Amino acid sequence: MNFCTFRRRGGLRGLLAAGAIGLAALSAPALGATPAKGGTIVVATIGEPPTLDPMASTADLVGILTQHIFETLYTFDAKWNTTPLLAESMPQISGDGLTYTIALRQGIKFHDGSDMDSADVVASLKRWTETASRGKQAAKLISAIETPDAHTVRIVLKQPYAPLTALLAMNNSAAVVMPQEKLATPLKAFIGTGPYQLKARVPDQYIQLTRFDGYQPRAGEPDGYGGARKQYLDEIRFAPVSNANTRVESAAAGQYDYVDALPVESIAKLKNGRSDPLLLKPFGWPRLVLNTKQGIMSSLPARRAVQLALNEEDMLYAAFGNKDFYSLNADLYPQGFPWATQLGGKVYNQGDASGAKKLLDEAQVQDRSIRILTSQQYEFHYKMALVAAEYLKAAGFKVDMQVVDWATLTQRRQDPALWDIFITHSPFLPEPALIDFPSKDSPGWWDTPRRNQVLDAFNQAASPEERIKRWADVQQAVFDEVPFIKVGDFNSLAAKSPTLQGVQPSPWPYFWNAWKAAK
Amino acid sequence: MLRYLLNRLVGLVAVMFLVATIVFVILRLTPGDPAAVMLGPQASQQDIDTLRARLGLDQPLPMQYAAWMGQLARGNLGQSIFLDQPVLAALADRAEPTFWLTLMSLAIASAIALPVGILSAVRRGTALDQSVVTFSMFTSSVPSFWLGLLLMQIFSVKLGWLPVAGYGGPDAGIATRLSHLVLPAIVLGLVNSALITRFIRASMLDVLRDDYVRTARAKGLPERKVILKHAARNALIPILTVLGLTTALLVSGAVVTETVFGLPGVGSLVVSAVLRRDYPVIQGALLVIAAIYVLINLFIDLLYLLVDPRVRY
Repeated sequence: MNFCTFRRRGGLRGLLAAGAIGLAALSAPALGATPAKGGTIVVATIGEPPTLDPMASTADLVGILTQHIFETLYTFDAKWNTTPLLAESMPQISGDGLTYTIALRQGIKFHDGSDMDSADVVASLKRWTETASRGKQAAKLISAIETPDAHTVRIVLKQPYAPLTALLAMNNSAAVVMPQEKLATPLKAFIGTGPYQLKARVPDQYIQLTRFDGYQPRAGEPDGYGGARKQYLDEIRFAPVSNANTRVESAAAGQYDYVDALPVESIAKLKNGRSDPLLLKPFGWPRLVLNTKQGIMSSLPARRAVQLALNEEDMLYAAFGNKDFYSLNADLYPQGFPWATQLGGKVYNQGDASGAKKLLDEAQVQDRSIRILTSQQYEFHYKMALVAAEYLKAAGFKVDMQVVDWATLTQRRQDPALWDIFITHSPFLPEPALIDFPSKDSPGWWDTPRRNQVLDAFNQAASPEERIKRWADVQQAVFDEVPFIKVGDFNSLAAKSPTLQGVQPSPWPYFWNAWKAAK
Repeated sequence: MLRYLLNRLVGLVAVMFLVATIVFVILRLTPGDPAAVMLGPQASQQDIDTLRARLGLDQPLPMQYAAWMGQLARGNLGQSIFLDQPVLAALADRAEPTFWLTLMSLAIASAIALPVGILSAVRRGTALDQSVVTFSMFTSSVPSFWLGLLLMQIFSVKLGWLPVAGYGGPDAGIATRLSHLVLPAIVLGLVNSALITRFIRASMLDVLRDDYVRTARAKGLPERKVILKHAARNALIPILTVLGLTTALLVSGAVVTETVFGLPGVGSLVVSAVLRRDYPVIQGALLVIAAIYVLINLFIDLLYLLVDPRVRY
């Protein structure tokens, strides 16, 4: 992942120059700057989080906020490897891959002053398996969570499951550790072990976090989300600014110390403003999810026709407008990730209307009506849908574009009778098992013997090398069975005050290790 | 008078009942699921169903309606699904910015409309009158969000005089908070001044044609006294009506302006609640807004008693 910070008026040349030092900058403080303790920052976010319970939601905003308050046993380092956080070290895994023994760090305090022990961890993990969607995913494979002693936790599996530590490291739908006596659903007290504690929340105005003086950072240096978490700032405040234009203007005016989730086309305005643009390249991938359970997309030839008909380049150009903000890439991970392959080129970005029509004719698909469900909540989804619709019409589909608000979309996509294609996106996740693949229980309903076989093989593979090989099989299955179609890679844009240092561009920005330099 | 007040209060209850029922029905017919919105994009149908059950959203609609009416009868507007706080508390949190914004906008609108409307009527047909009419047309036609963004560009981004968004943090004093309201108040004041100006102008033109005004002039009274003491006072009733309606509109939330400026007022609460399908907040907020409308109208009707001695209830 490249780190690109613009200085004001540096322009796109600044982007290219800064990109060269990208990875090296991920772990080190800014050159020539000495961290200083003190100060308060205000971070503008896309809105009010639906909850402060990190187990209760998969929304990125929840993870961004709560990762400062709560911690997990593991997290991700700068290279997206799992690394211990509340655990003392990586788990000891038995030879058969079924038993994970996790030694806990000692002397860890909760925000209420109590000590963390294995009983808290086990109670939290049990709540996670009952409450969090990622926890429920793991629960199917867990046979027991035990406490051999006050500083050790043991997880026993029904079958080997390599993604377990990644699931334990993820910061949304997160396996955070809380005091067992404070566990409740819904959660009323937000007590964690994180570097910052919750002081006040006034909905739709601010969430105020203050430094937790009893925090025990890991030794050593910061390393992505892992390593030491230094608490230079006294306070971090999150302010919801739901209107994207308003966030752009506030960044240009320098009102906030950090402004998240800005439209990429605003970069020209930002480079002349009072904040420094921060481009995260690459950030994520949009995709068209196809309804394999019901309707026209339940037919594999029809899905292959859609795959052949689309012109992803035009879709990305319409969505992002500038080649600096997107890349064409059929593979589910871009180069630079260990999961990157080069399998998908043959059936990507073809825009072959006649080939698609031929597939439909050969399969004798009579009713070629197709419903695309999308929302202007994410403007780029809508723009991609508009372009996709035209290519599908050229291929002989009868397209019904259904543009609804986000709440309606989240409801409708749960019903296979109501849509054929919907559009979604996600950041590049450090572990493929964290991707919400369509399954028999989730929209898209991709549930074939091949799907289950390749995913099981991937999840049960023991060594990293074997997992990478098995991942190629998963990806090939996606290309062959077309449960979804990846459109490409795109970048994200944020902005920060020139005085805010130590912030690393990240899909889930964090502000430990950040400090305010003198103006 | 007492009977009049009682009738109006009964009317208030009837309006509230109608609003509560209509809003409930419309909301339940509208697609969208608050549980799905809350749980995020990767939630399974099972998770969504579990949350719906916990929130009572899986109950048959008549039961949900009965529960809602029962709560209302006890003065309870319910609990926000999204904010996890009582609806009344959520409204109370947002009352302050809405109150100040309403006051400031009304002050700006009145400060523009009253003198300009009166002058325009007195100087009817002149260049001043034409300018006022044109200016009113312009400010009533311009979209408030465009005006807001324009003012933001000039005063916040370019000049850095005023903040762009929000209402200040936990340690913000009254001056800081009011500074967040200046630009939105100017937007709302300008936009609303157009209608008030036109009303004042029309009302004054009617009154200036009356015999008693001619008599007052014939008696040799100074023109200022003729206009302000005799004509304007008699033109007040329609002016009060439009001021009352404008106040009610502002109190119910200047939705677009609050959204553009990121103000945590009643209007943006309603918008957010609709987008999130936070049913209790939508229902409760609209009920309170309906009550405010009715009460403001009642207040204006009572003000007529002071302004016009001919009015009796």
